[in-house]
Amino acid sequence: MNWRRPIANAGVYLRTMAVFIAVWWLVAIWTDNPILLPTPLIVLEAASELALDLDLFRQAGISFGRMVVSIAIASSLAIPLGLTMGLSPLFEKVVDPTIEVLRPISGIAWIPLALFIFGIGNALPVFIMTYAAFFPIVLGTVLGVRTVDRRLIDAARTMGVPQRTIVLRVVIPAALPSLLVALRVGVALSWTAVVAAELIGAPSGLGYAIQWYRELLMTPQVMSFIAMIGVIGYICDAGVRWLNRRYTPWAAAR
Amino acid sequence: MTSVSATRDAAWKRWVIGLALPLLLLAVWQIVGTTLQGPRMPVPTKVVAAAGIMIASGDLPMAILQSLGRVFAGFMVAAIIAIPLGLAMGQSRAVERNVDPLVETFRPVAAIAILPLAILWLGTGTAAAVMIVAYAAFFPLIVNTVAGAKNVNPTLLHAAATMGISRLTTIRTVVVPAALPSIFVGLRIALAVGWTAIVAAELAVGAKAGGGGSGGIGQMMFIFYAYSIELNRIIVCMIAVGLIALVLDRMLRALMRASMPWEHA
Repeated sequence: MNWRRPIANAGVYLRTMAVFIAVWWLVAIWTDNPILLPTPLIVLEAASELALDLDLFRQAGISFGRMVVSIAIASSLAIPLGLTMGLSPLFEKVVDPTIEVLRPISGIAWIPLALFIFGIGNALPVFIMTYAAFFPIVLGTVLGVRTVDRRLIDAARTMGVPQRTIVLRVVIPAALPSLLVALRVGVALSWTAVVAAELIGAPSGLGYAIQWYRELLMTPQVMSFIAMIGVIGYICDAGVRWLNRRYTPWAAAR
Repeated sequence: MTSVSATRDAAWKRWVIGLALPLLLLAVWQIVGTTLQGPRMPVPTKVVAAAGIMIASGDLPMAILQSLGRVFAGFMVAAIIAIPLGLAMGQSRAVERNVDPLVETFRPVAAIAILPLAILWLGTGTAAAVMIVAYAAFFPLIVNTVAGAKNVNPTLLHAAATMGISRLTTIRTVVVPAALPSIFVGLRIALAVGWTAIVAAELAVGAKAGGGGSGGIGQMMFIFYAYSIELNRIIVCMIAVGLIALVLDRMLRALMRASMPWEHA
């Protein structure tokens, strides 16, 4: 294995980030207002304090847990629906317009109504994230089923394979790449929605923590939590991409 | 004639089948809503009435215009930075290697997450909302522009170089047209993301800035939730948000077809 390239890439990455941090530092010294723009060192101190305190990880865990639950609910609703829509043209004609009517209404636009229905708590962010992840997963599943080679289904049918087995053994594996791409979009969208939902209507989580520290004007803490949102967002995306490569190596983009 | 009437018949059937479920759901909502008889229970007829009042009074169109203005401002800021930078990154390996780490580091940070910083730096007015939209729109734009600028047929670039055309002219006449389809994909995603972000930003500003809000459809929704609890009007706002998202996307698609007739397929 050739290590030269990754090391050179890491070098370029570090160089760029060093320039960024240097500029940040200079601007911070120039503005000389730790509430408006703290220096990188102060942010690092605040972040390590929050990390040692475990608060950073606790809030991240809460938000991440909500996302996992939402994705599980969204998948368990959207994948069977998408499979049925893909396999039955009549069912698709009946259901598709309703989905197309609801889809442009972003999950975030549901927040006020959902606040009224669910109140402040776990249910609100989970509902908003489930809604946000639902549509890409349905559409991705339908697309996946449509691209299944008809001959494979016909061949299975000719050999007398029951419908259930055809779905499990032929349709789902063939639709998997498209499904996993849709899952990636769903995860990204629901992670964006979690922050908005928690910012407005949750008693815990990363979005709530950001809001809490902003009200106390503790900008270094706010920045630490924002960084955490980025880190978890990146890890989730990398996780789904890993699933892509692991389970659909023939279709993995990268 | 028979085939025409047959296709018309099929189209008619599609409409009936497609409308059946939404109409059924609306009917169930209306019946459940009226039988429950809650004072705040929203029902479709009341939603329509509320929409009429809100449009007639001019409140809803004003709020939508305000939000749209912010989206376009943020969108322009993002486009002015992201498209030239993306073209440079796509055309020069050195620029890409050095700038890409910054893009990839900040891309996973959700736009709404930087709202507290935007409020801190720019206040609770239009400027903060524009910043959120610009941040949200920046990443899909730059990623797609880079992809488009990289995909230029190298033969065309070599031909331009052979003819002694300057770098800038080459970018204007060869790279940009070739990258345009990809840039438009970026614009479509960016507009959708920006519209979602503005609603979120206005909602959150209305919710957390202590009343010092600044209008827009998101804030309008929050006021109906927090101060007057008018669910019918919240639903009108939600429908408006969806309709605007749809119209924006259709408009951009029409623009795409008009500006790139060669991409019709």
